[in-house]
Amino acid sequence: MGLKQRAFDWLDLRLGVRDILQQNLTHYLLPRNINVWYTLGATLLVLFSLQFITGIFLLVYYIPNTEQAFASVQRIMNDIPYGWLVRFLHATGSNVVILVLFLHMLSTLYMAAYKRPREITWIFGFLIFLVSLAMSLTGYLLPWSQLSYWATTVATESAGATPVIGEAMIHFLRGGPAVGEFTLGRFFALHVMGLPLIFALLAGGHLFCVRRIGVSRPPFGPDYLPEAPGTSFHHTDHSGGIPFFPNYVVKDLMVIAFFLTLLAAGAFFAPQLSLPPEAFEPADPFRTPPGIKPEWYFLAAYQLLRILPNEFLGLVVQGGAVAFLLFLPFIDRGPERRPGRRPLFLGLFIVGLAGFLILTVWGYLS
Amino acid sequence: MSALRLCLSASLLLLLTTQAYGVEGGAQESSSCLSCHGALTGRLGEPVAAWEGSVHAANAIGCHSCHGGDPTIASMEAMSPERGFLGVPAETEIPPFCGKCHAGVEEDYLQSAHGETLGAGGPQCVTCHGNHAVAVTTLDLINPESCSRCHEYGRAEEIKGALAETDRLITELQATTERQHRLGIATDDQRKQIFAVRNDFHRLFHSVDVQQVVARSGEFQQRLQPVAQELQATDEELSQRRLIGAGAVLLLALVTVLLGFLRHTYKKEEQSDPGAGSGPL
Repeated sequence: MGLKQRAFDWLDLRLGVRDILQQNLTHYLLPRNINVWYTLGATLLVLFSLQFITGIFLLVYYIPNTEQAFASVQRIMNDIPYGWLVRFLHATGSNVVILVLFLHMLSTLYMAAYKRPREITWIFGFLIFLVSLAMSLTGYLLPWSQLSYWATTVATESAGATPVIGEAMIHFLRGGPAVGEFTLGRFFALHVMGLPLIFALLAGGHLFCVRRIGVSRPPFGPDYLPEAPGTSFHHTDHSGGIPFFPNYVVKDLMVIAFFLTLLAAGAFFAPQLSLPPEAFEPADPFRTPPGIKPEWYFLAAYQLLRILPNEFLGLVVQGGAVAFLLFLPFIDRGPERRPGRRPLFLGLFIVGLAGFLILTVWGYLS
Repeated sequence: MSALRLCLSASLLLLLTTQAYGVEGGAQESSSCLSCHGALTGRLGEPVAAWEGSVHAANAIGCHSCHGGDPTIASMEAMSPERGFLGVPAETEIPPFCGKCHAGVEEDYLQSAHGETLGAGGPQCVTCHGNHAVAVTTLDLINPESCSRCHEYGRAEEIKGALAETDRLITELQATTERQHRLGIATDDQRKQIFAVRNDFHRLFHSVDVQQVVARSGEFQQRLQPVAQELQATDEELSQRRLIGAGAVLLLALVTVLLGFLRHTYKKEEQSDPGAGSGPL
C-alpha cells in the first residue's frame, strides 16, 4: 500500500473523506439537460479568487495615503517584478467579473431559476452583485490618479441629491468637506476589508443555498414540467442525472479556461480598456480632466441619469429598478419557468435587455 | 423598512457611480477671467474660446499667468495694477511678456536678425505663433506663406532642412514616451530630458542663423541618444511581455478547446447510456 493511499485511509477513518468526496463529486448528480450557463457560478468563484489573490499582492506594496498612493502604484508597475501583470490582471479582472456576473444573472432570470424555493439564493446573488459594484467604486479611488480623484469627487458630491440627509451623506462619504486623506482611508478600508468580508458572507450564504436546495433543472425539453409548490423542505435531486465529477466539472473547467483566456488577452494586450489615460496621471485637485466616462457597466445608468430631468428622479428610477430585481421572486410567483410560456416576462426581459444595451451604447457615444 | 433602506442604498450606489462622470470640458481652472470674459462677445470674449484649444490651456497656463491680475476676485479689481495686472502688451513688450517663461528663446531671439528689427516692423513672438490660440510648435510653422510676409523663403527653407532630422527624432521620442506612459511605464525622466533638449533646440532656431543650426544639430541628436536607448530597452521589454502574453493566451485557449473535446466525449457517453448517472461511475 502506497504512502498516499495510507494517508488517505488515515484521513478517511477520522473525517470520512471518502464519503464527503462521493456525496459532493461522483454521487452528486445534476440534471441531464444542464447547460453551459450553469458553469458561470464556478467561473465567478475562480475569478473572484483571482481578484483576492492579485489584490493581496497589490496590498503588499500599496501605501494608502494621498502623498504616496500614486507613487506606490507607479512602483508596483515599474519596479516590482511582474507588478504590472498583477495590476493589469486585477484591473481587467474586475471588468471580467462584472461581465460574468451580468451573464449569470441574465441566465438566472431567463430560466426563472429565482422562483420558489430559490428566492433566498437569488437575494444573496443580487446582493453579491451590488457589493461587487461597490468594490469597483471603492477600488477606483485607491491609485489616487486623476481618474480616481475626480470620479470620487463628483460621485460623493452627487450624494447631495438625497433629500434631507444629502449634506450629511457627502460629509460621511468623504470623511471631511473634500475628497482627501480621510476619503482614501475609508475607501481603502472598505475595499480591502469591509466589502470583501460582506462578500464572503454573502457568497457563503449563496453557495449554502445552492447546495442545500439543489441545482434547478433547466426549463427546457419535451419532458419538462413545472414543479408543484411544496409545503415542506425538499432537496431537489436529479436521479438518473449526470455526475458532477467528472462529467460536469470538465464543462466548468472549459468555461473557466475560456474566461481566463479572455482575462489574459485583456491584461496582456489591451490593459488600456480598463485603465484610461487619466488613470496614469497623479491626482491634481486643481485640474479637471476632460470627458471622463464611467466603466462600461455603469454607462446605461449614466445615460439614464443624463436624459432624466433631475438627480432625485434618477435616484427614484434606479431605486425602483433595484427594488424590482431584488424582490422579483416575490413579485413573479407563478410556478411556470418555461420562457415560451411566459410571454409577458419574456417581453419585459427582451425590452429590458435591449434598453440596457441601447443606453450603454448611447452613453458611450454621447 | 430595512428592505427599503437597502434599495435606497443600492440605488444611491448606482447614482453615485454614474453621476461621477458628468464632468465635461477641458482642463480648466476656476477663474474670474474665464467666467467674465467667457460671457462676453467680440474682442473681449474671443480670447477665451481661442485659449481653450491652446497648448497653454492644456498645460493649465491661465490668463493671469501672462496678463497678471487676480483670477480669484470676481470684480473689476481683479484687473487692477495693484493686483499685478499687465493688460495687453505693446509690440516691443511682447518678447519679455512671453520670455517670462520662455527665457532662453527670448535671449536667442533678441540676438537674432528677427530680434534686431523688433519695433521696426520685424517679427515678434505673436507674428509667427499667434497669441491666445498658441499651439505646440512644429516645423510646419516655417512655411513659404508665413515667412514670405517679410522676406524671401529661401533662407528659411535652408534652416527648416537643417532642423528636420533632429525635429523628427524629438517628435518620435515624444510619441514613444506617450505610448509607453499609456501602458503605465514611468517615463517622467525621459520626458524631462527630451523636454530640456527640445527647449534648447527651439532656442537654436530662434537664432535664425543657418550656419549655427547646421553646426549644432548633431549635438542635439547626441544628447538624445541615451534617452533613445532607454526607450528602446523598454520597447524590447514590452515585446517580451507580449510574447509571454501570447504564450499564456494560446495555452489557455488550447486548454479550453481540449476540455471542450473531453466534455464532448462525456456527452456522447451520456447519450449512449441513459442511466449513466444512476450510480457511481
